[in-house]
Amino acid sequence: MSLPDRIDPRPPRRIYRWDLDKTYLQTEFDSLRDLVRTAFQKAHQKVAVPGASALIRELSENGDSRLCIVSGSPKQMRAVLEEKLKLDGVRWDEFVLKDNVGNLLRGRFRALRGQVGYKLPAILESRVHAPVEAEEVLFGDDAEADAFIYSLFADLIAGRVDERVLSQVLEAGGVYPDDAIRVREAWKKIPVGDPVRRIFIHLDRLTPPAHFTAYGPRVVPIFNYFQAALVLLADGHLTAPQVLKIAVEMVQTAGHNIITLSNSFQDLLRRGLPLQQAAVALSQALEGPNKLLAAMRPMPDILAAFSKRLAALGTPPPPPPVQAVDYVSLIHHALPRNHKGRSKPG
Amino acid sequence: MVGTQPQPVTIAFDVMGTDHGPAEVVRGAAMLSLESPHIHTLLVGDRSLIDEALAETKHNGERISVQHAADFIGMDEKPGEALARKPNASVAVAARLVAEGEAQALVSAGNTGAGVLACARHFQLIPGVRRAALATVYPTRSVRGAKGDPFSLILDVGATVEATADDLVTFAVMGSAYARIISQNDRPKVALLSNGIEPQKGPPRVVEAHARLSEMKDIHFIGNVEGIDIPKGTADVIVTDGFVGNVCLKMLEGVHDTVVELAQYAYKESLRWRAGLAMLSSGIQRIKDITDWNQYGGAPILGFDKIFIKAHGRSKSRAIANAGKVAAKVVSNNLGAAIREGLTK
Repeated sequence: MSLPDRIDPRPPRRIYRWDLDKTYLQTEFDSLRDLVRTAFQKAHQKVAVPGASALIRELSENGDSRLCIVSGSPKQMRAVLEEKLKLDGVRWDEFVLKDNVGNLLRGRFRALRGQVGYKLPAILESRVHAPVEAEEVLFGDDAEADAFIYSLFADLIAGRVDERVLSQVLEAGGVYPDDAIRVREAWKKIPVGDPVRRIFIHLDRLTPPAHFTAYGPRVVPIFNYFQAALVLLADGHLTAPQVLKIAVEMVQTAGHNIITLSNSFQDLLRRGLPLQQAAVALSQALEGPNKLLAAMRPMPDILAAFSKRLAALGTPPPPPPVQAVDYVSLIHHALPRNHKGRSKPG
Repeated sequence: MVGTQPQPVTIAFDVMGTDHGPAEVVRGAAMLSLESPHIHTLLVGDRSLIDEALAETKHNGERISVQHAADFIGMDEKPGEALARKPNASVAVAARLVAEGEAQALVSAGNTGAGVLACARHFQLIPGVRRAALATVYPTRSVRGAKGDPFSLILDVGATVEATADDLVTFAVMGSAYARIISQNDRPKVALLSNGIEPQKGPPRVVEAHARLSEMKDIHFIGNVEGIDIPKGTADVIVTDGFVGNVCLKMLEGVHDTVVELAQYAYKESLRWRAGLAMLSSGIQRIKDITDWNQYGGAPILGFDKIFIKAHGRSKSRAIANAGKVAAKVVSNNLGAAIREGLTK
C-alpha cells in the first residue's frame, strides 16, 4: 500500500483572533431597535470598520497564519455573517458564534450578556490545538470586555495568573459552573508559553485610552486600523507596502485623508509606541514605484505630514512600563454595562 | 447642498496660560473632535500635560495633533517683554504654525496682549487695513440673524487706542463682514458709538466716519448710537476706538458683576427678597442662558490675513469648543475675502 499523496499545511506561525461586532463590523446594538435592525440586516447591508478587511487580507497574505473569529452574535446569524466575510474577501479558519437560543432555553440569562463565560473558554479551547510557538495577536473593541478577557487569556497561558485569581474572576464574572470547568480543562491542556504579542482594542465608543493603562503596553487602544497596521509593521507582521494598501483602502472607502492618517500616527507616538523605524520604512515604500500610491496623489505631502507630526513632539516619550495586571480589581471592566459592579471607578 | 461634506479645517489651540489650566483647553478640543468631524485641532503647548489630559478624556485621536512648545506666557506678564524672552511660547509657536499654513486659525484663551502681538508678528494685515481691531461680543435684549444670536459685536475694545476716521470705517467693514458670517445676519445693522445720535455729534474723526459710512451702500449703517443702546441691541455691530471701547467693555462687565453681587446681598439680607428672587429664578436662569458667553466661545481679532479668536481667560471646555467652531466657520466662509471685498467698494 502506498503512502497517501498528501501534503499537510504548515502549522500556523501566527494566530489572529478577531471579535466581530464593533471590531470588524460597524454594529449598533445599544438599543432594542438597533438589535432588531442588526438581526434583519442582509450581508450587503452590513458595513465593515474601515481598513478591517484590508488588514485581515494583508495579514493572511503572509501565509502561515490562522484567522479565528469568536463573536457574541447568535449562531442563527452564521449564514449572513459568513456571506459578508466572503463579500469582503476574508477567509477564516475558525468561526465561533454564541448559542444564545440554547442559553435562553436553559434559563442561563447571565450568559446572554456575559462575555467572560463565553469568550474565555472559546479562545482557550482554540489555543489547545495551536503549536506552542505560534504567536497571537488579538482584536477586540471597547464595547464589551475584550481587553480584560484577551489579557486574562494571555496571562493564563503564560502562567502569570494562578488558580486562586482565576476562581475569583470566574465567580465575580458570573460564569456558570460548566463554563468554568471548560476554562480550567482547556487551560490545563495548554503548554505554558507567552505567545500573545498584541491586543488591539478598537475604540468604537471612543473610550479614553487611559482606561486601558491598567492592562499594560501589550493592549493598544486604536482609533482606526491604520494605527493597528502601523504597530504590526513595527512588530514585523506587515511590510510597509502592505500598510500603505490598508491606508489606501481607508482613503478610498472611508473618507480618511492625510490629516487623519498623520494624526493617527502621531497619536501612537505620543503614547510611547516605538514607530520611528516604521515611519522610515513607510517613507521608503512611498518613494518607490507603486501604482497603489496613485490613490494618494491628491495628498502629495504625506511624507512631509508624517515627518512634521514626528518632529512636532521633540523627544519621543518613553514607552509605557510593563506591569502585572490586577484582574480581581479590574473585574468590573468585564461585567455587562448595566451590571451594578460596572459603575466602579476604572 | 445635500451630501456635501464641509472642507476640513485645522484650528491651532494655544493650550497654555489660561485661568483653568491646559486640561480645560484639551477637554474643549476633545469635545470638538467628537462633535465636528471636519474640524481638526492642533494643540500647542507642553506635550506631556496635553497627553495626560487627552488620555483621560473621550476624544477622537484622528482629529487631534500636538505641537510641543516648551514655554508659555502667563496672564500677568507684559506681552512684548515676555514674547522677546520666550520665542517658543505656545502662543508664538501657534501663530507661526498658522502663518505657515499648518492650521487655518488660532484660538487662545491666554494673555490677550501676547496673542495680538504674536499675530502681529506672524500674520499680515489685509491690504487696506491700517490697524487690527480687537472685537468682543456683548449679550443684548434683542436677537439677530437666522439663529437668533443674542450677541452684538463691539469693536475695537483695545487694540487701537486712537483710531482715525479711516480706521473706524475699516472696523465697520470688518465687523459687518464678521457678523454676516457668524450670526448668519445678511444685513447687520452697523452703528458708530457717540455721545448723541445726531451725525454731527462726537469728535471730528467720528463725524467724518459717519459721513463716509452713510455713503457706503454695502454697509447697513444706521448712524450713531449711545452707550444705552449697547445692551438694548439697537445695532448688531458697534464701532468705536480702542480707548472708548475698552472703557465701555469694562463698565459693562462691572455692571454685570455689581448686579450679581447685589442679588447675592439681597438673597442673604432678607427673607422677603429671597422669596422674590426665588420667584424670579426661572427668568433669571433664562437670562443667564441667553447671556452665557460660554455659548459664544470667543471674539475675533479682525484685520489680519489669518484668523485669531480670543477666548475668555476663564473659558471652560464648552466655550473653548465653541471658539473652535467659530474659528472654523470664519475660515470656511473666507472672512478675509469678505473684508477685502468690502474695503474695495
